[in-house]
Amino acid sequence: MDEFEEILQDFLVESFELIEQLDQDLVELETRPDDLDLLNRIFRVAHTIKGASSFLNFDTLTHLTHHMENILNLARHGDIVIDAGVMDVILESIDLMKALLARIRDTRSDDGLDVSACVVRLDAAVNGDEVPAVVAAPTPEPVAAAPIDEGEEDYSGMSDAEVEAEIERLITIKNAEAAAKRAGNVSAAGAAEDEEEPDYSGMSDAEVEAEIERLITIKNAEAAAKRASGATPATPTPEPVSTPAPAVVTPSAPEPSTQVAPVAKPAAAPAAPRKVEPKEDADAKGATVEQTIRVDVKRLDHLMNLIGELVLGKNRLIKINDDVEERYEGEAFLEELNQVVSIVSLVTTDLQIAVMKTRMLPIGKVFNKFPRMIRDLSRELNKKIELDISGEDTELDKSIVEEIGDPLVHIIRNSCDHGIEVGDVRIAAGKTEGGTIQLKAYHEGNHIVIQIIDDGKGLDTDMLKLKALEKGLITDKEADTMSDKEAYGLIFRPGFSTAAQVTSVSGRGVGMDVVKTNIEKLNGMIDIDSELGKGTSMKLKIPLTLAIIQALLVGVQEEYYAIPLASVLETVRISKDEIYTVENRSVMRLRDEVLSLVHIGDIFEVERVFDNSEHAYVVVLGLAESKIGLIVDTLIGQEEIVIKSLGEYLKGIEGIAGATIRGDGGVTLIVDVAALMQMAKSVKSTVGTESGEGKKLGAKNSASDYCVMIVDDSKTDRTIMRKALESSGITLIEAVDGIEAMNILKQGDHFFDAMLIDIEMPRMDGYTLAAEIKKYNKYKNLPLIAVTSRSGKADRMRGVESGMVEYITKPYSFDYLLNVVKRNIKFNEGL
Amino acid sequence: MSDQLQQVINKQNNALVGDENKIDDVVQLVGFIVGEEEFAIPILSIQEIIKPISCTRVPQTPTYILGVFNLRGSVIPLIDLRARFDLKTQKHTEETRFIVMKSGDDVAGFVIDRLTEAIRMPKRDIGPAPETVSEAETMIDGVGKQSDRIVTILKVHKLLERNF
Repeated sequence: MDEFEEILQDFLVESFELIEQLDQDLVELETRPDDLDLLNRIFRVAHTIKGASSFLNFDTLTHLTHHMENILNLARHGDIVIDAGVMDVILESIDLMKALLARIRDTRSDDGLDVSACVVRLDAAVNGDEVPAVVAAPTPEPVAAAPIDEGEEDYSGMSDAEVEAEIERLITIKNAEAAAKRAGNVSAAGAAEDEEEPDYSGMSDAEVEAEIERLITIKNAEAAAKRASGATPATPTPEPVSTPAPAVVTPSAPEPSTQVAPVAKPAAAPAAPRKVEPKEDADAKGATVEQTIRVDVKRLDHLMNLIGELVLGKNRLIKINDDVEERYEGEAFLEELNQVVSIVSLVTTDLQIAVMKTRMLPIGKVFNKFPRMIRDLSRELNKKIELDISGEDTELDKSIVEEIGDPLVHIIRNSCDHGIEVGDVRIAAGKTEGGTIQLKAYHEGNHIVIQIIDDGKGLDTDMLKLKALEKGLITDKEADTMSDKEAYGLIFRPGFSTAAQVTSVSGRGVGMDVVKTNIEKLNGMIDIDSELGKGTSMKLKIPLTLAIIQALLVGVQEEYYAIPLASVLETVRISKDEIYTVENRSVMRLRDEVLSLVHIGDIFEVERVFDNSEHAYVVVLGLAESKIGLIVDTLIGQEEIVIKSLGEYLKGIEGIAGATIRGDGGVTLIVDVAALMQMAKSVKSTVGTESGEGKKLGAKNSASDYCVMIVDDSKTDRTIMRKALESSGITLIEAVDGIEAMNILKQGDHFFDAMLIDIEMPRMDGYTLAAEIKKYNKYKNLPLIAVTSRSGKADRMRGVESGMVEYITKPYSFDYLLNVVKRNIKFNEGL
Repeated sequence: MSDQLQQVINKQNNALVGDENKIDDVVQLVGFIVGEEEFAIPILSIQEIIKPISCTRVPQTPTYILGVFNLRGSVIPLIDLRARFDLKTQKHTEETRFIVMKSGDDVAGFVIDRLTEAIRMPKRDIGPAPETVSEAETMIDGVGKQSDRIVTILKVHKLLERNF
């Protein structure tokens, strides 16, 4: 039974996928009824599902799809024209087919749904054009004997293909029956058939045989006739692949055959399959459109994590390569190392992108169902509505594709019901009779934007406020002070509806609430724009999770933040004089506009130490219409980063969109620009007031408040320095090399006023140490004094380059050292 | 000789069987020091223990959240247990460790002063948490008594619960 289950799963997945495409195709078909490709595609879907369901013994589904196939085949041959009426029936049957499939998925059986009414209508649609006289005839249960008599005449008029189809159907059903028996499912199948065709049991095996015999004879005769006339190639069993399936089916024909099937002896089957099977194969091949493998999403996630670690490794490799390059400049092996590093980095990047792409799906998967929905709605609401879809190829992560469907359904329903007016009203307003809804998708930076634009009546803010007041959602005062945008936002309140009455389409005041919740769940934004009488535009902005984004890295004190480059308009360097204060807010002039400024340190509570630089860097951020200038200490550069979530424990922190891992293995937080702009409104600016704060740290009351670090690997040298300085009462801290010195600095137990640094030390030498220290803003002004036996001019130059202020060569006198230190720490000046 | 061997084997077997019987009433804990006290958590709730590495501060969080750090590609929050227990914070020393704990999908690193040892403790030696703290709020799962000392056993899921 496991094997059966496996086949069933495949069948269901395939069927649902086919149906998704079907809806889209059918609606398109209505506008282009003579598109043969389209028709063939639709036909194949019905055919594929029919074939598979008969194999799996789902008789009700087979029965239904068979009739759909009929009507589509007719249309394919141009025998009937697909108008709205016919389309309604076809769409109805497709809905029924979906229901059946859903039922099979849930209960493993297609019992319990009545398809006969729909089948009758399908047949009626067929006959409506062809044999108007017998419209009433196709009752689901004709008497077994009658159809044969009635049918005699029709058969003679049947084409090869038709006869072929007839036989095929018989075979299919027989095969199904045989399969059922093999699978031990006879009882279930029997039950289903009993319900629908209670009469077939009246037919004997012999009658079945006779029926098949007769059909074959007729077909052969027909073929002979055609051969005689030379109209078709002289093959005894012509199998035109282009017309592979049942064609004209008179109301009587299908019934006897379906009735016959269940009792047919398997013995009767072998005669026919020979002719039919090749055709089935051909069709099955035709239906395979995409070359795909199904993969569990978990595996992709795992792959993604592995790639993440690889990328991290790559970044570190690049960093090490840079260091090595610096140290061994000009060495031959560098070239080779460079090549390897660049190949590894190139391949890793490609691999990363490739894996990310495997998770991406085109948004068309969601959009596909809307043409059908609009069509149904426009008929239901009696409005002419056209849907204009663009950007359906825009790709986004699978998880988002799954979440975005529901909100869109609600928005579009809303636009149809409340937005687009009835034809007369539109004409009276000077618009075209038919309304248009545009559905657009495109990338905007690291977001995907889905826009739904209708040219309906627009949102009436006064009316919205009135309704909200009526329902008690807002107070009078709120209504008075509300801006237009805020008023539009009312439509997202739960329980809010502008519809005068509740229709089947909308008006319950639930839909838009759902939209808001779902979009918020995706960290998205909704932006409504509306003009009364002109239409409404709704913009959903959803972040692309798992995307690599370009980011601008900025520094504030020792912290780094990544700003999505998509939101960065420009960066400017200004002098502090250019910052003005207006109503307690800092602003600057940027060309001909005034830009409000906020310091990144104020937003993220960065402890700022006195910074006396004359200049400031301003990152101009833009989001929608708003702009803001973000002051940062340093601009690091542009980098491609991978967004990682901060996890359950830290999620939802205002202003932080996530984190990323940098080349050095450190974590850098990603700025959420939208939130930052919100926060900027409430943050009290300290841009102009920082200068007063620096003093506190420097307050000295006694000699021991001064603190100097001695960094030297030689115990003797340290002792000498200690002896020289001890007398002054200055607090002295010792470190044996650069690494230890850095650690002591980082611990922050002491606030150092100066450092005495030896140049030659193991692990980290004096130059490197000085350069490292100067990377920190708060040590920018810390005097570093080199104490060394190296006295060359080049050494002095290097010392200056790495940030040393004094250069003392060994040997030195105690007094000299003490004086230099005192001068640099401004000893006693503050006492 | 062979008799002796047989005896030895039997003895070992018995010992092994005995162990299996006992395993149900023994809990395995890892003990560590924060401040003056010894705490312990079940060994199975520990993902790994690492030496301190650098972390990135996250704004708008309580002071006991030191930030986030990178554990082989995952961004993991770092919580200072001293601060969490309202003790005076101190600088990292040679013995400071990060214990990465997990409970379900929640993972976080915790800074502790130093590790003590892995403890096998019979269940009967574990007493309930003191009654002075309310059942729902307490992070204490129980108190384990050993010959010379007591250890406080913590609820890992409570430690990993966001409370701000």
